[in-house]
Amino acid sequence: MSTPLVFFRAAFLRFINLFRKQKLDHELSAELDAHLQFHIEDNLRAGMLAVEARRRALLKLGGLEPTKENYRDHRGFPFLESIIQDIRFALRMLSKSLPFTVASVLATALGVGLNVGIFSVLNGATLRLLPIPRAEQVVSVNQIFHRRTIRNTHGETSMFSYAEYVDYRDQNHVFTGLAAYEPFLEATLAGGKTRQLLGAATSCNYFDVLSEHPAQGRGFVDTDCAAPGESAVIVVSDGLWRDTFASDSSLVGKRIVLNRTAFTVVGIARPEFTGTEPIPNTFWVPVTMQESLEPGRDRLADKNLSWLALLGRTRPGVSIKRVRADLEVIAGRIDQQNPGRATSLAIRTATFFGSPEEREFLLPVASVVLAAFGLVLLIACANVANLLLVRASIRRKEIAMRLSIGASRWRLVRQLLTESLLLSLFGGVLGSLLAFWSFTSIMQFVTSHLPRTFSTLAVNVAPDMRVLAYALALTFFTGIAFGLIPALQSSRLDLNTALKGDGARSGRGGKSGQFLRNVLVGAQIAVCMILLLAAGLLLRGLYHAQTVDLGFQMKGVTTTFLNLMSQGYDENRATAFTRSLRERIAGLPGVTEVAQAECAPLSHDFSADNFTVPGRADKVAIEYNHVSPEYFPVVGIPIVRGRSFRPGESHDAPVIIVTESTAQRLWPGVDPLGKTLREATGREYSVIGVAKDAQVSHLGDLNTNYLYFPSGSEDNLRTYVLVRFAGSFVATAKGIHDAVLSLDVEMPVEVTKLEDYLEVWRSPSRIVVALSAALGALALLLASIGVYAMVSYTVNQRVREIGIRMALGADSAEVKSLVLLQAMRPVVIGGLTGVVGCAAVSWMLSSMLFGLGPRDPIAFITVPALLLAVALLASYIPARRAAKVDPMVSLRYE
Amino acid sequence: MAEKKDVLQGTLALMILKTLEALGPLHGYGIARRIEQTSGDLLSLNYGTLYPALLKLEQEGSISAEWGVSDNNRKAKYYKLTRAGHRELERETREWHETAAILQRFLAASEER
Repeated sequence: MSTPLVFFRAAFLRFINLFRKQKLDHELSAELDAHLQFHIEDNLRAGMLAVEARRRALLKLGGLEPTKENYRDHRGFPFLESIIQDIRFALRMLSKSLPFTVASVLATALGVGLNVGIFSVLNGATLRLLPIPRAEQVVSVNQIFHRRTIRNTHGETSMFSYAEYVDYRDQNHVFTGLAAYEPFLEATLAGGKTRQLLGAATSCNYFDVLSEHPAQGRGFVDTDCAAPGESAVIVVSDGLWRDTFASDSSLVGKRIVLNRTAFTVVGIARPEFTGTEPIPNTFWVPVTMQESLEPGRDRLADKNLSWLALLGRTRPGVSIKRVRADLEVIAGRIDQQNPGRATSLAIRTATFFGSPEEREFLLPVASVVLAAFGLVLLIACANVANLLLVRASIRRKEIAMRLSIGASRWRLVRQLLTESLLLSLFGGVLGSLLAFWSFTSIMQFVTSHLPRTFSTLAVNVAPDMRVLAYALALTFFTGIAFGLIPALQSSRLDLNTALKGDGARSGRGGKSGQFLRNVLVGAQIAVCMILLLAAGLLLRGLYHAQTVDLGFQMKGVTTTFLNLMSQGYDENRATAFTRSLRERIAGLPGVTEVAQAECAPLSHDFSADNFTVPGRADKVAIEYNHVSPEYFPVVGIPIVRGRSFRPGESHDAPVIIVTESTAQRLWPGVDPLGKTLREATGREYSVIGVAKDAQVSHLGDLNTNYLYFPSGSEDNLRTYVLVRFAGSFVATAKGIHDAVLSLDVEMPVEVTKLEDYLEVWRSPSRIVVALSAALGALALLLASIGVYAMVSYTVNQRVREIGIRMALGADSAEVKSLVLLQAMRPVVIGGLTGVVGCAAVSWMLSSMLFGLGPRDPIAFITVPALLLAVALLASYIPARRAAKVDPMVSLRYE
Repeated sequence: MAEKKDVLQGTLALMILKTLEALGPLHGYGIARRIEQTSGDLLSLNYGTLYPALLKLEQEGSISAEWGVSDNNRKAKYYKLTRAGHRELERETREWHETAAILQRFLAASEER
């Protein structure tokens, strides 16, 4: 009887039997009854007495009940049945104490929901495959340079030059196609309202390799990439087509102008396809058209420029390992042709944020975020565990009873774990549902508060299998985490005292149980302290950033960035353009001064280079800026020694102005005027002036080496125009805007306040503050409930002891302080642990504190004080109840 | 009385099938009595173990059961061999003979030494 068919038949019948219990029990009774009657009749016939006949028959059967029990074990699935029994019982117990159940489920839902939500965000950002057909076959390729090589970079160093791409494309044996693209290409759309667009320049097999067919028209064909600058075709995104071209049904075939070059629209992408980067692309042009959009930058020809990201579709059945082996041969060949170069390749299934640089940044951030959210779950677990412990001590009698009539400890633990797993299941499902339902809108809320460039991240936070598995695993572990210790604890009982109903009330109400509860409360407080302190520090940092003296004047200045190069200007035309623009702006009413700079203060534009101080061997990294003489008065940076640049003094003059602290670091104790610095090219510059330190490059950072060069005519190709004004911003902005358009009607122009740059610096920290404050508040809520529950439980347990104390003369104030003191012990110990723990890790937040010390005393005093006050309040309420105990009532109670 | 033997593991099912083949439809008590009698009262059968074995055979489809009335008008559950049960009996009989033969040869060989 071992064929699978027979086995399944039997299993099926057993399964069916699970649902026919009563009928089957009835039949079994009847059958055994008949059996006994037959046997008894036989025995009577053999001459036995009636009693003896029955006894013998029962004996021979092996007892009625054991036989039935044995039979039942073969009828269904006894293990399954006992689990179902456990679940039924657990449900009954849970519905009996509804407040406890609701509290536990809500705490779990909160903890699990938050974690599932944040995981679905991280999943969408880093684990999900690209939104293209058969994405699992598409791999991203990056190269990592091992020796110090001089490499030009536009984007990330791990990207490829065009020549390298062609090598990999033509020499590999593992891809059906290898595509390359320049991920972020800014361009201005002309006609009507000028618009800045973000697109990509792609190899002409891009759409084929991705199996991504435009919804209208076509993708690129090989002839589009035949020669540089020849084939001005463009595929636009569905969003651009709808928003800017009003869903024009005849757009395909029309011409649109980007950065002064006319492109023919050949295709419109599917709505779901926004490129292969987290920031959506709105257009795609052949890579050979790159220089038309970025005039003066011929990237195709630069063999040493990292600017192309690579995506390959593997042939069927080719593993990543084989891809690596095959491509590394090509990498080796390129290394040989370039002596001194050593590269290895990073090959992964393609996702958003897949490059080594992005992962290096994202992984620590993700782990810190996950850890913070995990802490809240931990508090929730400790809270529920505490509730379970309290409940277990209420159920001591029941548990002791079951142990004494023969239930094994394992059986009891299983029963108790079933209860906690049910709790976590309810909580987990509720929390996950809330998370799935709310995190999309939370994401939108968060991204809408990010600086504009990040505002439209194409992150898909919808749950997939991975998120569901995570939710399930988290729910299960949560149930075990808060259930196991209470279950083990409460199944280890001294039967005697427990059954007498005495143990729970007398002083020895489980010393180790009390200890465990204290530890759990302490842990909650510690975790809560860490989260609140982080929030407090960040909040202080924000305040600091808002009030700190930046060393320059942000108010009353407008900033306008002009990229004349991208609009096809050469140096001469650009110089003429900016000269007349500055004249027109200077003539506007209310404008006091006009300046130009390569980098506007705090605009996230940085330039840095290595310099040598003559007479010293080491190189010094120094940030620099090219500024016109008016820069210093416009942004209000005083020259404290020497002189400022003179009008007409350009980059040709070997002069620089350094900041005070830079001068002190480079030439300590010496007059810096007349000292020289040597550029990598060998050119020397002498210091003509010293400017006051200002946080122009990084908010909150005064310690960067910084120097100023006078701007020259080549700086006019890309320049910030800074305008100090006295009148209204709106009027001034309009004046500047019109002045630009009057010179070139197609020039993209945006005038903003200089202060607006501050927002970009503050918003990440603002989001983290909001996040950690919200987490901290939840943690505080959970922890104070935990403290409250623990104290009121202890008070209930000790009613008799308190009664005796009061009968012996203790007054209510003494009782109150006794209860409070005992309650505060785990709180203080936990709180101190949290403070020490946070002090140890708070340096990680440094970059968001804007110069505030990571152990800021104000945060480290107020936050613990707040937490202590809340904990005191949470324990004061039950303590007051203890003080109102009437000795007579409490002593008569038992 | 000679010492009674316990029922050898796995042989109870074979005995049940053989009994039903020989006697036709029979209730549990009848099967138990018949097995004991056939063994010449040498087997000690705990009657209680018979019923799980019957259940297993029924679940596997070798026997079927239905309620009937006995000679002395008592309601009882009667078991009978199904067609699959006949095949199963043949198969198990053959296997048993083979096992017995192997054991026989083995014991004979050991005795020769």
